[in-house]
Amino acid sequence: MSGPVLELTGVTKLFGGITACKDISFTLPKGQIMGLIGPNGAGKTTAFNLITGVYGLTGGAVKLEGEAITGLRPDLIVRKGIARTFQNIRLFRNLCVLDNVIIALDCHETYLLASSFLRLPSVRRREKAVREQAMTFLAAVGLEDKAATRADAMPYGLQRKLEIARALALKPRLLLLDEPAAGMNPEESLDLARLIRKIHEDFQLTTLLIEHHMDVVMALCEKIFVMNFGEKLAEGSAEAIQRDPDVLKAYLGEGFKRAQHTIA
Amino acid sequence: MWQYISGVISLGLIYVIATVGLAVFTGFTGLFSLGHAAFFAIGAYTAAILTYFYGYNFYLALALGAAAGGLVGFLIGYPTLKAKLRTDYFAIATLGFGEAIRVLLENLPITQGARGLPGIRAYTTLPVLVVCTGMVMMFAWNLIHSRHGRASIAIREDFVAAEMMGVNIFIGRLRSLVFSAACAGLAGGLFAHYYCFIQPSMFSSYMSTQMTAAVVAGGMGSISGPAIATLIFIGIPEALRVANIWRLVAYGLILVLIMIFRPQGLMGYKELNMDMIRGWGRRIRKAVGA
Amino acid sequence: MFVQTLLTGLAIGGIYALMAVGYSLVFSILNFSNFAYGSIIMLGAYISYFSMVKLGLPIGVAIVLSILGAALLCYLNERLAYSPLRKRRASSLFFMISAMGTAIFLENLVYAVVGAHFYAFPEVFTKSNLTYRGVSIGVLDVFAIAFSFTAIYALHFFLQKSRTGIAIRAASYDIQVCGLNGVNDKHLIGLVFCLAGGLAGISGTFLGMKYIVYPTMGWITNKAYIAAVIGGLGSLPGAVVGGILLGVTETFVSAYVSSVVRDVFSFSLLVLLLMVMPTGLFGRFLEEKV
Repeated sequence: MSGPVLELTGVTKLFGGITACKDISFTLPKGQIMGLIGPNGAGKTTAFNLITGVYGLTGGAVKLEGEAITGLRPDLIVRKGIARTFQNIRLFRNLCVLDNVIIALDCHETYLLASSFLRLPSVRRREKAVREQAMTFLAAVGLEDKAATRADAMPYGLQRKLEIARALALKPRLLLLDEPAAGMNPEESLDLARLIRKIHEDFQLTTLLIEHHMDVVMALCEKIFVMNFGEKLAEGSAEAIQRDPDVLKAYLGEGFKRAQHTIA
Repeated sequence: MWQYISGVISLGLIYVIATVGLAVFTGFTGLFSLGHAAFFAIGAYTAAILTYFYGYNFYLALALGAAAGGLVGFLIGYPTLKAKLRTDYFAIATLGFGEAIRVLLENLPITQGARGLPGIRAYTTLPVLVVCTGMVMMFAWNLIHSRHGRASIAIREDFVAAEMMGVNIFIGRLRSLVFSAACAGLAGGLFAHYYCFIQPSMFSSYMSTQMTAAVVAGGMGSISGPAIATLIFIGIPEALRVANIWRLVAYGLILVLIMIFRPQGLMGYKELNMDMIRGWGRRIRKAVGA
Repeated sequence: MFVQTLLTGLAIGGIYALMAVGYSLVFSILNFSNFAYGSIIMLGAYISYFSMVKLGLPIGVAIVLSILGAALLCYLNERLAYSPLRKRRASSLFFMISAMGTAIFLENLVYAVVGAHFYAFPEVFTKSNLTYRGVSIGVLDVFAIAFSFTAIYALHFFLQKSRTGIAIRAASYDIQVCGLNGVNDKHLIGLVFCLAGGLAGISGTFLGMKYIVYPTMGWITNKAYIAAVIGGLGSLPGAVVGGILLGVTETFVSAYVSSVVRDVFSFSLLVLLLMVMPTGLFGRFLEEKV
């Protein structure tokens, strides 16, 4: 397993007259956490949508562990091993927390439709196993006591954690997190950063992270890719990016001080 | 007297079978089928033609009627669902198909056109209906509580997120449609051998409307809810001898009022269970006793 | 024969265009198919019929009354059945159910109260024809074409030139931003429904005059949906073009193939378009923001 987990080559997306992404290329090695940053409207979420197949590419290619996934249906791409969370939370609001995770786990179940109708013992066994597995994923993010709560009845911070638990339950090779700390105060963001670090260690999960909270990004990411107006602005280590004059001018602000926070 | 009551119950159970199927499609998968009576009609005509003209065994005819309904559901569903139509345009397309099936039934020689098919044998008895209803409800419940059912629910809740959970939207919806069409086909076959006469005008939008209204009123996340709502919709007008037309006026008003005041319908996302019944018992006793 | 069919097609196309514009007005602002629109059209027809027959009013007054009455009813429909849902930010499924409920309620109320009789308009100019070089066109059709295009042009003028019209056009792109810019979106929505209702009154009257007045004539709005898709969802000029195209092609199918097949043709066209070219001719491609 030597190649990168994710490889984008010349990825381009046009919406009519608007170029959302132009010639975006980068690689993400196995086990790394990479940050994708840039001003609003830079094309970061579009990049996620292109990787996961929600939007079709106008040009370029996307490869997952060497295998081309350009043009595949989104649910197939998910089955190949990419999981993502959404900028605006997209939980199954009317369902309980546990069911949200169970639906993710269903992705890897294979029992037949006929067996479902008859509810054969094998199905019953699988259902029980899936429920237990779902509980372990909830425990990984600290939500096990909320299993029976309706998803939209939970506070915002916990909903974000559920989104992450759901993504983990897909047992992906690559995790895409779209602004997981959005709407959180500094304390909550660091808490979240700790969670992401823990997940990264426990699951050895290659991660691509879109975030505006710079303390989270700088604390977690080994490599950062900066976008602006749909194009690449800079790429490099966290330290290099914080010193890059183009990045400071376009996004971070010339008065930006190096992130002081470190997380345990 | 019992004759009359058992007749009402029989008719009610026939519609329960069709409505439970529709509940899986509209309630759990979130798509409207405004021409669902067409599948009912296909099942009715298939089963009736088989027993009447070809002397088939009743149960085999029923099964084939259900299969015919499911097959047509597949044929209609494949192009329309593959195209990922918006919910409202899918509903309009189903209206069109309902129309098309009606035109077909009125013009094929074997269905004897608008005159209809009289003299069908009365094979449908209450015990048969009770068994069929029980089976269909059990299958529906099993389906909903399996990974296939959950996929449909995910599609209804948020189809973008469902896709991101590895759910194939097209297959999930098609599966629900075929199941609901087969249920309607089975109900149709049972109906034909209960009423003993069928003609195309019986399977009108009135029937489709009633089924959809029962699903909404019963609760779009429940199996028992729509079943109960169907029995109420059939039972009360019979009890009050209310004319068909006012029944429909009531359905329309009920739909709007439910959307405004109680969108979760009767049962919401829950099924009828002992706690609920005990709860009602407590409330009734309090109202009457205290 | 060709020119004759073409002229007839244009006449019906004009009416379809009116309906399609009314439908698209609401659709482009609220992204919602008003399934109850057909029943408003039907009520417009009844209002002008009864104004002329029971109240003995001249045709001009009857049309005005129908426009006003339908506008009021459409507005009330919005206030009572849709705005509570909008306040709650209910999902589009609920809007659809509420719209369907309203349609069913209104149609069957008319059935129950007025009766199922088919009413034919008194022969104002329904029978007289203009003939030129062997081609004849009914005076009614000429009137219908003229009135339809006048109404559409007036609407166009209003949307382009007046402040409120510009607000409506802005709202069709993004109603929230419109609100942020100081437009009272509640009033705007109410006004749009009034306008749509007015158009419904005119189309209902002409439909009633051309054909016949009966409670379920509202189902013809399906043609409006199809016309809107042909022209492109969300586009008002598209709705006009779509309406005319649909009217003309439908009439040709009816004349040269068979009139029974006419509706099946239209629905098939709808499904085909939605699969192959969902944006229609002028439509805006609305990709969902994820």
